[in-house]
Amino acid sequence: MNAKTTLPEIPVDAETQRRVEQFLFREARLLDNERWDDWLALMAEDIHYWMPTMENRRRADKNGTYAIDRGALYNDNLRDLTRRVTRFKQPTAWAEDPATRHAHVVSGIEVYQGGQAGEFIVHSTFVNYRSRVEKDNDLLVGRREDVLRADGDGFRLARRKIIITQSVLMAKNLNTFL
Amino acid sequence: MCNANGDQPIRLKRRPIAQSIENLDQLLSLEQGRMSRDVFWDKDIYEQEMERIFARCWLFVAHESQIPKAGDYVSTYMGEDNVLIVRQKDGSIKGFLNTCPHRGNKVCFADLGNARQFVCNYHGWAFGIDGGLKGMHASETYEAAGMDKSEHGLHPVAHVDSYRGLIFATLDPDAPSLADYLGDMRYYLDAVFDMDEGGTEFIGGCVKSVIQCNWKYASENFVGDILHAGWTHDSGAKAMVGGPVAEVHKTPEQSYHVNFNGHGWEFNQDIVGNCATLGEKELLKYLYVLQPKVAERLGELRSKMIGAISSCTLFPNTSFLPGQNTFRTWHPRGPGQIELHTWTFVNKKAPQEIKDMWRKGTMMTFSPSGVFEMDDGENWEYSTRSNAGFVTRQQDLYLGLGHDTRVEDTDLPGNVYQGQINEANQRAFYQRWLDLMKADSWKTVPQRDVPKMKEGV
Amino acid sequence: MSQPILLLRKADLEAGKVRKVDVNGCALAVYNLDGTFYATQDGCTHATASLSEGEIVDDECIACPVHDGTFHIPTGQPMSFPCEHAIRTYKVIEDGEDVLVDLDQESDAAADAI
Repeated sequence: MNAKTTLPEIPVDAETQRRVEQFLFREARLLDNERWDDWLALMAEDIHYWMPTMENRRRADKNGTYAIDRGALYNDNLRDLTRRVTRFKQPTAWAEDPATRHAHVVSGIEVYQGGQAGEFIVHSTFVNYRSRVEKDNDLLVGRREDVLRADGDGFRLARRKIIITQSVLMAKNLNTFL
Repeated sequence: MCNANGDQPIRLKRRPIAQSIENLDQLLSLEQGRMSRDVFWDKDIYEQEMERIFARCWLFVAHESQIPKAGDYVSTYMGEDNVLIVRQKDGSIKGFLNTCPHRGNKVCFADLGNARQFVCNYHGWAFGIDGGLKGMHASETYEAAGMDKSEHGLHPVAHVDSYRGLIFATLDPDAPSLADYLGDMRYYLDAVFDMDEGGTEFIGGCVKSVIQCNWKYASENFVGDILHAGWTHDSGAKAMVGGPVAEVHKTPEQSYHVNFNGHGWEFNQDIVGNCATLGEKELLKYLYVLQPKVAERLGELRSKMIGAISSCTLFPNTSFLPGQNTFRTWHPRGPGQIELHTWTFVNKKAPQEIKDMWRKGTMMTFSPSGVFEMDDGENWEYSTRSNAGFVTRQQDLYLGLGHDTRVEDTDLPGNVYQGQINEANQRAFYQRWLDLMKADSWKTVPQRDVPKMKEGV
Repeated sequence: MSQPILLLRKADLEAGKVRKVDVNGCALAVYNLDGTFYATQDGCTHATASLSEGEIVDDECIACPVHDGTFHIPTGQPMSFPCEHAIRTYKVIEDGEDVLVDLDQESDAAADAI
């Protein structure tokens, strides 16, 4: 998963940077507006969408805070993401009715050349705020490492790693994508 | 089996039991299928639960596979008491309060790991993995004061024991044995935790989250409430299998509620019903191939439970789902909050790709992002929170399903009820809760259930 | 140079192990690092602790059993918190199957380091 961090950080031209930023801002808006199918359409066929859970371990513990074979809130391929979207769209998705209000705030976007031609490594930070019914308010803050792949005039998301600050998720559920 | 704390000096002080809240009997009218909402809201009831349930019962603390080597430890909770569960050099397991006996600071801040010692960050008091105080920073000052190190080790829990890889501990020196505590529920536990001769293991770490609900809503849901699945989890089932939840209420002859000492298991005999919701055919194949072998070892009935539509709670706050293979503890955090810790369990001998599918499958279905668990939390939160209303919480709740479904003429262990759509287990759960809440000590807890299994099987 | 004193037979201490040996009222920790023998003072310089009850880590360091601070066995140098002061090392002489110590001399590595 971390192969990209070993690549040299070769910045992209300003136009590519702008287009990637637009892609991420638009993605955030699609999620805020519960446009689930439009969001799914941004995914590459081989998407790996991963949000590991954080473990508190001593610094000397070589196992590290998270790993691919440990706990995860998302460890999804396209089929898995599609299943989650299928649930969101059911009239019986009780925890979505009345609708949850989302704000996906994306910032700190850095774009570098990827390991393959037409791929880009994109770092970003996010703030996610969800509000439900009267005063269920949940805040998640974290950082993402994406691989975007050029696709026609736009991009597809091929990899996403989401690292949040919480080890105990301070919420009853995670009814959104990040 | 291990009971490593037995030979320790008693260093766990307990105040004499506090006076009970009056008129607890009035909270439950189980024969009428009614109960008070106060049990989910009242702060004094919660405090009494801490003393008479969580500081008394055997509580799940770890799986043996989490701490295979000497010095391996996990940090977990018994009620709101933070404890360290540590594998010893002789292979036994000990448990300690995670607090320094000097000024009270937490001695271990990691969730898990391997340690040669636990050293308090405050004044450098250092404890061996056996809990003994080995030394302190500026040790000569303590020597000058004449302090006896042997009197200041970590506070050991009262007893540690395990069953089929599941490690339990109790903070009450007078607790019955774990075998007695689990009683006939062990018969059913074997269907899942002794499914094949390799036993089970926990894989993939722990997922933790907070739900603003009373702990009993979660426990009672898993102790017997399959009823909610067809309604609450319709969206999850449509997502995972493309159709609604199985209509188990139409075939009560195939399913049961069983309970013993407040533990309860509702189950169908469809072999793979729970597992099917993970949407992985390979897992179904794995269970179908295993089922005849389980039948040979444990008999036909238990072989049909291995991944069936079912759920179980071990009193008070540990639950699991066969087939979906999620194992979880609902740690109480005041009357209106729990901290949920979940793990994935698998058969040790299962192929790696099967284990990986289960690890992914539990996260996909029964984690905070899971398509089933997603809708549970909100139900429990608002079932709890609505009781903030002063008049609201004076209204009774109903739990009367399945009166007259008791199966008397059976060799099956435990109290057996026909039909998994039932509230017999929930009533038994609350009866046990009331028995413990009323009793001043284990000696006065009534033994309502007559075991068919022998002690220490 | 004083008369070397017998500590133990080589076969009595397997590689990767440490053992306490009392010599003339002086508590020593004796180590076998992959077939080469070393001796240091047994008491930790930080707090009251017997280093011979600790574990050998990172191939040639002793981790104190109390606070997990480490010393470099061949030179006695403190390697990690809370150890600040070096432990005394002693010259070890291997003679056939015997391991002897000269209480008046530092280890060769410690002497070289100065």
